[in-house]
Amino acid sequence: MIHHHDILIIGGGLTGLRAALRISDAGLNGAVVSKVHPLRSHSVAAQGGMNASLGNVKGEDGATDSWESHAYDTIKGSDYLADQDVVERMCREAPTAVIELEHMGTVWSRLENGKIAQRPFGGAGFPRTCYAADRTGHNALHTLYEQVVSREIPVYEEFFAISLITEGGRCIGCTALEIMTGQVHGFLAKAVLMATGGFGRIFDKSTNALINTGDGQALALRAGALLKDMEFVQFHPTTLYGTNILISEGARGEGGILLNKNGERFMERYAPHSVDLAPRDVVARAIEQEIAGGRGYEGGYVHLDLRHLGAERITERLPGIRQIAMDFAGVDPIENPVPVQPGQHYSMGGIDADINGATKVPGLYAAGECSCLSVHGANRLGGNSLVETVVFGRLVAEKIVEDVENAPTPDDKLVKAAINSVNDRIEGILRREGGEHFFTVRDAMTHTMTSKFGIFREKQTMQEGLDEIKSKQDQVSRVSLQNKEREVNQALIRFLELEGMLLLAEAVARGALAREESRGSHTRTDYPERDDRNFLKHTLVGFRNETMYVSYQPATLGIFEPKERVY
Amino acid sequence: MILKVYRYHRGMVSPHYDTFELELRPGMTVLEALFQFQEKLDDSLAFHYSCRGAVCGTCAMLINKVPRLACRTQVESLLKGGLKVPIVPYPAIAETVPWNPEEEVLVEPLPHLPVIRDLIVDMDAFFQYYRFIEPVFTPSADNPEKERTMDPAAVKKLEVYTNCILCAACSGACPVEGKNPRYLGPAALAKLYRFHIDPREGRTSRLKTADIPTGWWACEFYGNCSLVCPKGVPPRIAIAKAVAQLKREEKEKLKKQ
Ligand SMILES: Cc1cc2nc3c(=O)[nH]c(=O)nc-3n(C[C@H](O)[C@H](O)[C@H](O)COP(=O)(O)OP(=O)(O)OC[C@H]3O[C@@H](n4cnc5c(N)ncnc54)[C@H](O)[C@@H]3O)c2cc1C
Ligand code: SF4
Ligand code: FES
Repeated sequence: MIHHHDILIIGGGLTGLRAALRISDAGLNGAVVSKVHPLRSHSVAAQGGMNASLGNVKGEDGATDSWESHAYDTIKGSDYLADQDVVERMCREAPTAVIELEHMGTVWSRLENGKIAQRPFGGAGFPRTCYAADRTGHNALHTLYEQVVSREIPVYEEFFAISLITEGGRCIGCTALEIMTGQVHGFLAKAVLMATGGFGRIFDKSTNALINTGDGQALALRAGALLKDMEFVQFHPTTLYGTNILISEGARGEGGILLNKNGERFMERYAPHSVDLAPRDVVARAIEQEIAGGRGYEGGYVHLDLRHLGAERITERLPGIRQIAMDFAGVDPIENPVPVQPGQHYSMGGIDADINGATKVPGLYAAGECSCLSVHGANRLGGNSLVETVVFGRLVAEKIVEDVENAPTPDDKLVKAAINSVNDRIEGILRREGGEHFFTVRDAMTHTMTSKFGIFREKQTMQEGLDEIKSKQDQVSRVSLQNKEREVNQALIRFLELEGMLLLAEAVARGALAREESRGSHTRTDYPERDDRNFLKHTLVGFRNETMYVSYQPATLGIFEPKERVY
Repeated sequence: MILKVYRYHRGMVSPHYDTFELELRPGMTVLEALFQFQEKLDDSLAFHYSCRGAVCGTCAMLINKVPRLACRTQVESLLKGGLKVPIVPYPAIAETVPWNPEEEVLVEPLPHLPVIRDLIVDMDAFFQYYRFIEPVFTPSADNPEKERTMDPAAVKKLEVYTNCILCAACSGACPVEGKNPRYLGPAALAKLYRFHIDPREGRTSRLKTADIPTGWWACEFYGNCSLVCPKGVPPRIAIAKAVAQLKREEKEKLKKQ
C-alpha cells in the first residue's frame, strides 16, 4: 500500500509531535509514522524538567536569568564543542517553547505566585529547569498528543520504518512494516523528518526505553547522511542499581547527597564548589572512581541519600522517584538510601544536521535526540534535551514547510521497487535456518559497548571492542529467527533493530578511537587532557561501499571563547 | 517457578497456555520473565513493551487475575502470595485454566479488549472512547503573552488525574465494561474530569460530553478501577463527583423553572 503526504515525520515523541503541529498550522498534509503508539515513546519517561530562562525564580544575589546565561551554561557544559549559533537559537526560543506548552494545556508545577516553577539543575547558573513534578515528559507528551488528536493529524501507529527511499540523491519517503499485519507500506513525501530518538540500547546498562535502538540514525546513514559526534555518550551518574532506571538529577537538585560505603560525601573531593550538583559527566566519573577504588558497595554502586529532606518534601517534590525506588529496588527513600550506579543515558551525537535540521541528503531533516545540530557538544546538561525537542521540533518543521514549497512531487515507481526489495529482504531473513540466536549477538554487543566504550576509555581496549563489533556484524548476517511469520513478529523487529545498532556501535567506536583527547563525556585514560588545537571539531562518520569513514568539521564558536571547565 | 502464559493467534480455534520454568533473579519483573521466555523458549511470544519503568503504559496485562503493569510487578512478590488486590470478581477473571498460585505466575491478556496475538490486545476501542470525550484543553480566553498563572493547590488536585498513563488496566478491571462494551470506561471519564477541573479550561459544560447512558451514568461504583490503577488515579471518585454535580445542576434547573 502506498501513502502520500506533503511531509512525513518518522517518530512520535516530543520532537515528532511538535513538528506535526507546526506542519498542520501551515495547512500542509503531514503524517507521523511511529513504531509504538506515540504515548509510549521514550519522551514520556523524562522526569526532571525542561530548561528555559523564564526568570521566574531569582538566582543567587537576586539576579534574573537570561538566554545568554542559558547559552553560556550550555556551551561550557558542552566542553565548548556545541555549535554556538545553534545554542543561541535554542536558548532564545526556549521560554516560548515552555509557554506554548502551557498554552496548549500542560500542567506545570507552580510557584506560590502562580508562575511556572523552576528548579536548579546540574551545571546551570540559575534555577532554570521548568518541571511538572517529576513527570515533565509525560505531561508534555500527553499535551502534544491531545493536540494531534484534536487536529486529526494522521498517525501510523506501530509502523516500523525500514528504509528511506531516495530519488537522484533526494529523500522522497520511506518504507515501513506494519507490525500487526506484517505488511510493508510505502510512504511518499516531499520531505522526511527523522525524529526517532536515541540509541542508548547499544549499551547494556541504560536508562533508556527498550525501544531506543537508534533506528533513525542507521536509516539515515545508509541513505547517505553523516553521523556526527557519535562517541559522545552521556552516562548518568544515578541509575537504580539492578534495572538502571533513572533516578533524576531532580533528586540532587532538591538536596539529595551521594555517599560512598564509608559514608563519605565524596563529591566534595571532585567538585568542591558545586559538589553533588556538578554536571553529569563529572559526577559519573567520580562514582566510577569511587567504585574502582573499592569505596563502592558490593556489586558496584553508591548511595543516594534523601532521608534528610524529610517525608513531606520527598512525597511532594519527588513522588515518581520514590515510587521507582520502592517498585524496582524495594527501597523507600524516606527510610533508606537508594542504591545507584552510572548508566548510559543520552546520545549527544546523531544525524549530522545544520542549524535548520537539514542533513546532507536533500529532503531529509533531523531533530531531537536522533539528530546532532549540535547543541549539546561533548556533554548535555540536564533539562536541555526536552527543550531541544520542542524548540527544534517546531523550528525544523518551519524550515521544511518553507523548503517543500519548491520541492518536486515524487512519483510512485521507486516506492514500488523499494517495497519489493524490503519484502525480499524480510523473506530472506525469515528463511534463514541455523546459526546463533540473535539475542546472543545482541548481548555480546551491549556488553562490549559498556565494558570497552563506557565512562573511561583507552586505545587498546577500544581496538578490541571494535574488532568484536565487526565480528558481530559478520555473525548477524547468519543468525536465524524461530518465528517465521509476518504478522506481529517482534523477533523480526528486534533483529532489524540489531542490524542498525551494530552499525551505530561501529560509528561510536570509530569516533572514540580517533578522538585522542578527553572532552565532556569522552574520557580517555591515555589522553586525559582536552586538546583544543587538534580536536575542537566535530567527528563525522559516513558510510560508502559498505565501509565506514571518519572526517571532521570545525565547531562553530562566536560567543564564548573556550576555557577550562571547572565546577 | 513457573510462568504460565496465554497463547493465541489468528486462525487458532481456542487459546492455549504455555508453561515455562523461570530462572529467577532477585527483583525480576513479569516483563523480564516474558523476555526470558522469548529468549529461551519461543521468540514468537508477543507482548507490548517500551519504557520498562512503569511510565509509558503499554504493558498492562492480566497477571494472577489482576490487571497490572508487567514491568512494575515483581515475580517474587506474586509468589509469596503478596500483591493480592481486593477487586470485586467479574466474569472475565473467572478461572480459565488450572493454576497453582503458590508456584505459578499466570499471565493473560487484558480483559474486555479483543486479543490480536498472545498478550497483545487491540486498544482501538479504548482510544476511540478517549477521543470521544474530546481530550484537549480549550482555554477560557486568548493566550496571554506569558504563562497563565495557576494556584499550586489547584495543580495538586489536577495532577491526580493528569498522572494517568492510559494503560487501560482500569478498563480491564471494570465489571461494567465486561457487560457493556459501549461504556466509555473509567480512563476516558477520568480524563474528561481532568479537563473539567482545570481552572484554565474555558468549556464550562465539559461534563455534558459524557452525560449519556454509556457515560457517567453507566458506572456502578465497583471501584476496581481505582484499586488496580498503577498511578493512583481514582476514576471512581471522578465519576462520583461528576454524577453529584450533574444531579445538583439538574435540581437547580428544575427549581428555577
Ligand atoms: C529516563 C530519562 C529521563 C530523561 N529526563 C529528561 C529530563 O528531565 N529533561 C530533559 O531535558 N531530557 C531528559 N531526558 C532526555 C529526553 O527525554 C529525550 O532526549 C527526548 O525525550 C527525546 O525525544 P525525541 O522526540 O527526540 O525522541 P523519543 O521520545 O525517543 O521518540 C522517538 C520516536 O521515534 C519512533 N521510532 C523510533 N524508531 C522508529 C522506527 N524504526 N520506525 C518508526 N518509528 C520509530 C518511536 O516510536 C518514538 O515515537 C531523559 C531521558 C531518559 C532516558
Ligand atoms: S486511570 Fe490508571 S489504570 Fe486507568 S488508564 Fe489511567 S493509569 Fe491506567
Ligand atoms: S513497559 Fe512502559 S509501563 Fe510497562
